[in-house]
Amino acid sequence: MEKFLLRNTENPNSADIEEYIKTGGYKNISKAFELQPSDIIEEVKKSGLRGRGGAGFPTFMKWSFASADKKFPKYLICNADEGEPGTFKDRPILEKNPHLLIEGMIISGYALKAEYGYIYLRGEYPYAYDVMNQAVRDAYDKGYLGDNILGKNIKFNLVVHLGAGAYICGEETALLDSLEGRRGLPRNKPPFPVNAGAWGMPTIVNNVETLANIPHIIEIGADAYSKIGFPDCPGPKLYCVSGHVEKPGVFELPMGISLREIIYDYAGGTKNGKKLKAVFPGGISAPVLPADSIDCAMDFVSLPKAGSMLGSAAVMVMDETVCMVKIAHRAMKFFERESCGKCTPCREGTEWLRKILERIENGRGRNEDISLLTDISNNIFGKSFCALGDGAAGVMKSILKHFRAEFEEHIKEKRCRFKQKD
Amino acid sequence: MITLTINGKEIRLDKPVTVLKAAQQAGIKIPTLCNHELLKPFGGCRLCVVEVERMPKLMTSCTLMAADGMVVRTESDTIADVRRAILEFLLINHPLDCPVCDKAGECELQDAVMQYGPPTGRFIEEKRKVRESHDDPILARNMERCIVCTRCVRMCEDVQGASAISMIERGGRTVMEPFSSRSFNCEYCGNCITACPVGSILSRLYMHSYRPWQMDKEVETICGYCGVGCSFVAQVRDESIKRVIPRIGFGMNNGLLCSKGRFGYGFIEDSGRLKTPLIRKGDALVESTWDDALDLVAEKLTEIKDSYGGRAIGGIASARCTNEDNYVFQKFMRVACGTNNIDSISRTGYAAAQKYFEGLLGQGINANIIGGIKRSDMVLVLGGDPASVNPVLGLSIRAAAKAGAEVAVIGHAPGLERYKTINVLPPLFKEADILEALLLEVFRARGNRGESHAIDRAVSEFDKEYSGKTDMHGLEELKDKLLKSDSISIVFGMDLVQRTDGHRALFATAGLTHLLEARLYLLSERPNEQGVIDAGCVPDMLPGGRPLGIPDFRRRYEDAWKRPIPDTEGMTLMEMIEGAKKGDMKALYIMGDNPVFNLPDRTFIKESLASLDFLVVQDIFLTETAELADVVLPALGWPEKSGTYTNLERRIQLLRKTVETTSGMDDWSIISRLSCRMGYDMLYTDAENVMDEISRVSPLYRNLSYKEISDKECLWPYNGEPLRGEAKDIKVIKEKSRDYDADLYLALDKPLFHSGSISQRSPGLMDISPEPRLKIGTRLAEKMCLKDGDNVIISADRGSISIRVSIDPCVNGKVVLMSNNFKEKGALGIMGYNLDPVTKAPGIEGCAVTLRRG
Repeated sequence: MEKFLLRNTENPNSADIEEYIKTGGYKNISKAFELQPSDIIEEVKKSGLRGRGGAGFPTFMKWSFASADKKFPKYLICNADEGEPGTFKDRPILEKNPHLLIEGMIISGYALKAEYGYIYLRGEYPYAYDVMNQAVRDAYDKGYLGDNILGKNIKFNLVVHLGAGAYICGEETALLDSLEGRRGLPRNKPPFPVNAGAWGMPTIVNNVETLANIPHIIEIGADAYSKIGFPDCPGPKLYCVSGHVEKPGVFELPMGISLREIIYDYAGGTKNGKKLKAVFPGGISAPVLPADSIDCAMDFVSLPKAGSMLGSAAVMVMDETVCMVKIAHRAMKFFERESCGKCTPCREGTEWLRKILERIENGRGRNEDISLLTDISNNIFGKSFCALGDGAAGVMKSILKHFRAEFEEHIKEKRCRFKQKD
Repeated sequence: MITLTINGKEIRLDKPVTVLKAAQQAGIKIPTLCNHELLKPFGGCRLCVVEVERMPKLMTSCTLMAADGMVVRTESDTIADVRRAILEFLLINHPLDCPVCDKAGECELQDAVMQYGPPTGRFIEEKRKVRESHDDPILARNMERCIVCTRCVRMCEDVQGASAISMIERGGRTVMEPFSSRSFNCEYCGNCITACPVGSILSRLYMHSYRPWQMDKEVETICGYCGVGCSFVAQVRDESIKRVIPRIGFGMNNGLLCSKGRFGYGFIEDSGRLKTPLIRKGDALVESTWDDALDLVAEKLTEIKDSYGGRAIGGIASARCTNEDNYVFQKFMRVACGTNNIDSISRTGYAAAQKYFEGLLGQGINANIIGGIKRSDMVLVLGGDPASVNPVLGLSIRAAAKAGAEVAVIGHAPGLERYKTINVLPPLFKEADILEALLLEVFRARGNRGESHAIDRAVSEFDKEYSGKTDMHGLEELKDKLLKSDSISIVFGMDLVQRTDGHRALFATAGLTHLLEARLYLLSERPNEQGVIDAGCVPDMLPGGRPLGIPDFRRRYEDAWKRPIPDTEGMTLMEMIEGAKKGDMKALYIMGDNPVFNLPDRTFIKESLASLDFLVVQDIFLTETAELADVVLPALGWPEKSGTYTNLERRIQLLRKTVETTSGMDDWSIISRLSCRMGYDMLYTDAENVMDEISRVSPLYRNLSYKEISDKECLWPYNGEPLRGEAKDIKVIKEKSRDYDADLYLALDKPLFHSGSISQRSPGLMDISPEPRLKIGTRLAEKMCLKDGDNVIISADRGSISIRVSIDPCVNGKVVLMSNNFKEKGALGIMGYNLDPVTKAPGIEGCAVTLRRG
C-alpha cells in the first residue's frame, strides 16, 4: 500500500520543510482554502474518519458540535500525549513528518474557524519537541502559520506545549486542565470540550494521527479515502508492534487488517519462532487476546466483537515464556502509579489489585484471591470517573478470563515457574 | 419547569439542579462524601450513584443535571453493592483509628460506613502510612485518614480563594498539601476544617479534648471580632468554649469563618482577666469591692459635675460593646452626668466616614447587604484590605472576581492581589487626588443624576472649582469600566479617613457613589461600629441618628428619659482628649476601649489622661489605659454577654451569652448601678429589658424585640423610620495634597490575624501570628541587606520601636507597614497626628521614619 502518514519518512531529512514541500507538502492547504469550512467538515464526514486516539469517535461529529457553538475563540488541540504503554505510532509523525501534522492542523483550524492551535506533546518526547518546534518556526517563516496564511487573510497560530509526564493528561479534559496550567484531572462532562473546553471556549481535541489524516482526505477526496481498508472505519492506520516479534516497529496499513497478518506478515512473526501466548491489540488498556483469537480484524468495529478494542493500536506480543500474573502485576503497577487520584474505585482499586498480584507472583497467594481480584475488577469497572479505571479493570478481567489457570497454579505451587533462577 | 421521578415520587423543579439536589429537596437522602453544599460538584467519591432509566451506566447524582422526564432510582441492590464496594475501597487505606480520632461521632465516612458499608474488610495488605503533621500553626493534618474528596482543596481554592491546598502526588499516594508550610498563603480561616468530612484536618485547639456529644451546650451566637458579625455555634463544656463551628444556611456568612472568628475565642479564659474592681491608692491600683468602687465613681463624678458642670465630663463608648451597653452609657452621660461629650474610638474611622456619607447622601446609605457584592459586575476597593479587615466580606469580593466582575483597588490590599483586574497605584497618601480626578471624569462623562440633591450641586460646583489634573495613569481604564458597569459596589476602607485631608476622599467617594448609583460598604474593624452610632454614642446625635440640635427630637428623648438633655453638641473623641490636656476636661469615663494604645501619639494621650482629675475605665483586661485609671471596673467579654450588635450592613443580630463567668459585670449593668447612685434610677433587669426601652424610644428600632431579631433577618430600616430630609450644603474643597518627600514613611497595617488586646490573649491567634512584623518592600530590604526576621529599630518623632522585619513584595518602596496590635509594639504610638478639620478624625499620614539595623 502507498504510504501516506509515513510518506518519505525513510528519508533522513523528512522533517525538513523543504523536503516536505518537495514531496507535495502543504499543497493541500491551498486546496482546502478554496472550500468553505462547512464543506471540509462535510468531506470529513463522508470520509468516515474516526478518531485515532483510542475511542474511535467519528471525527466529524466532534467537529460539527464545535462548529455549531457560537462562542469564539475556538481552540484546536492536538493530543500528542502518547502515553499508552506500548504505543509509539504518533512518534514517527512528530519526529519525522511534523509538517504533515501542521498541515492537517491548519486545514482543520480553517474548517473549524479555530484560530489558535496547541500541540500538547508528551513530556518524554524531548526530541519530538525540538523537531516540532523547529517545524512550527519554519511554517511561520514560510507563511503557513500566522495571521495571514498564504496572503488569504486566514489566521492560525500554533504553539507546542510540553506535558509533564502524566498518563492521565492523555484524557482530553485532563489535558485541557494541564494545558491551562493546573493539575491534570478529568473534568465533569457535560459540558463537553466542544462547547466549553480550554479556557471555557469550544475546543476540539484530536489525536496526532487523526489530524495527520486530514491532508490525505483533502488530497484524494472523501470518496477515495473511504475506500481504504475496512468500510465502517476506513483509512490508513498506524500499528505499532512490540514485544516478542522478530521485527518490531510502526507499520502503516489499511484499517481492518487482521492481527495475524500484522504479527506474521509485517512484524516477522514471533521471536525465535516461539509459541505465541497472548497479544494486547491496543495498548495496555485494551483487554488481552489469547493466541487463538488473532484472526480478528484490527479496527474499531471488529475488535470489540472479539472481546477487546483497537485503542491506540499498540500490538504487544507475548510468547510462551511470559508469566501472565507478572504481566497483570506490571500493568496494575502502571495504572496504580498513573491513576490521578480523583475517583475512589480507580485510586484505591488499582493499588489493591497490584498488591494482591504482587503477593500471588511472590508465592503468597491465597485461594480466595482469584475471586477477590474478580470482585475488585468488577467494582472498578463502570464505576470510575474516566476510562483509566475501566481500562485497568478490563485488562485484569481479560487476563483472569483467559489465563485463570496460571493464577491457580501460582497459588497452588506457591511460586512462579516462569521466574528464572539466577 | 422540569418534572422528574425519583423513587416513584414525582418532583417538580423551578430551576435546573442536579439530581442530588432534586432528591434532597424532596427529602430523599443520597449518601455523599465529596459533595459539599458550598462547593461545585466534583464526582470523585462515586458514593452518590443512582440508576437512571435509559442510561446504561450508574450515574453520579451530584454531577448529573435533572432533566425533564428522567426516572431515577436511588436505592436498589445494584446501587447498594456499588456503595458497599466504594466504601470498602475507601477503607482499605483508612487507618480505622476512630477511637482516637477527633472526628468520630461526626465523621461522614463513619456515618456512611455504618449505613452502607461492608461488615468486614477483605484487605490484608499493608496500609498506606503518612505521618501526622503538626507543622502548621493551629492545624493538625492526618493524611492517613484522607479520602481524597478534595473538599478542602476546593474550599481553599474556590471559596476562600487562598489557594494554599492542592492535591499532591497521584493515585493512592495523593495527599493534600502544603497548607502553610513553604510560605504558601494559608489564611488560617479553618474553612478546610469545616470542609473535611473525616479527621484529616483538625484544629489543635480542639483536638483530643472532647467528643462532640460530650458538650454541655451549643449556643448560636455571633462573632465579636469585626463588623461583619458572622454567625456560628459555640460548643461549650464546663463554661469553657471548646470550639466554634459555622453552619451552612445560618447567618450571612453561610458556613464560612475567618481565623479570628474560628480560633480567637481563647481570650475570655486569659489569666489576666480583671476579676474585681480596682481603686487607685497612690501609684498602685488595689483590689476593692463593687460597692466601694461604684460609690467612689459616683461621688467623684457628682463632685466634678457640681464644680465644673457636665461639660467637664466625657465618655468614651466602645464599638466592642453591645447596643444595650452603649445606649445605657450615652443615656447615663447625657442625663446623669449632664453632658453630650460622648464619642468612641470609631471617630478615627467608621464614625467619621459614616457621618460624612449620611450627611451628604442620607441616612442608611451604607445599609447594603454584603451578598450584593457577589452580584456586582464591578467592585471598587478604596483605602483598605477587605480581606483582612473584614475577611468574610473580602470573600464576596473574591467571589465576584471569580464570577467575572472587575475589581479595582486604589490603595494597599494584599488580600486582593490575585483578584484585582485594575490597579491604580496612587502616589503615597494621595488617594484623594485620584478619587477627585475620577469623580470629575465620571461627572464629565455622565453628568449628574439631576435629582437636585445637595450632592449634585456640590459636584457641579466642585467641577468648576477644580484645578488639579485628571490625566493620571490607569484612570482612563478605570473610568471606562465604571461607566460600563451596571452594578457597582464601592468598598470603603478607613485608611482614607485617617488623613488630615480625609474629607476630600470622602467627598469624592460620596460623589462617585451617587453618580454611579453604587452600593457603598464601609469596612468596620470592630463588631458594633454602626451600633455605637445608632445607640447615640456620638456628640451630636441622639439614639436612632436623630440630630441633637433639633429641639423636637430632643424633647422626645427628654420626655422618655424624664430629665433634660444638654442642648449643645458635645466634644468629639480627640477634642475630649485634647481638652483633658488643656484642663477643660476633668473626668473621663472610658467603657471597653483602650485609647492609650488605639490612638496615635502615645505620649501625648498618656499625658492628657494623666492630667484628668478622675479617670474611670471599664474593661476586661488591665489595658494600657486602665493602668492610668483611678477606678477600674471589670466588665464582660462578648462571649459572656447577651445583647445585640449592628453590623456594617446595618443588620441587628443577637449576641447570646455563651459562657457564665464570675469575673465581671455587664457594662450596662455597671452603668445603671452607678446611675442609681448618682440619683438617676436605671432599673433594667436584663439586656432584653434595655432593648425594650430602645425600641420604645428610638424611632429607628420601633417595636424591635429580641424575638423578632432571632426569628428573622433584622435589616435596615427595621420597622422604624429612617430620617429623611435635605442634606446640609457642603463646602467645596479647594485644598491640594501636601508633598511627601521624606525617604521613608510609616503607615498602618491591618493584619488578618489580630485585632488588638483580645486577639493578643487568644492562644489560637498567637499561635498563628506570635509577634509583630514590620513589612518592608523588596527593594528596601535589598538596600539595607535585610532578610526576613532581621531586627530593626524604627524611629519616628514620637518614639522608636525595635521590631523584626518581614519582606513583602506588595509594599511600596517609600513606605513600611506596621500593625497596631502588639503590646508595646503598636505603630500608632509613635505616629503623630493632625485632626481633619471636617471629620475630626486624626490624620496619621506622612509619618516620616528612619530605619536602622538593631
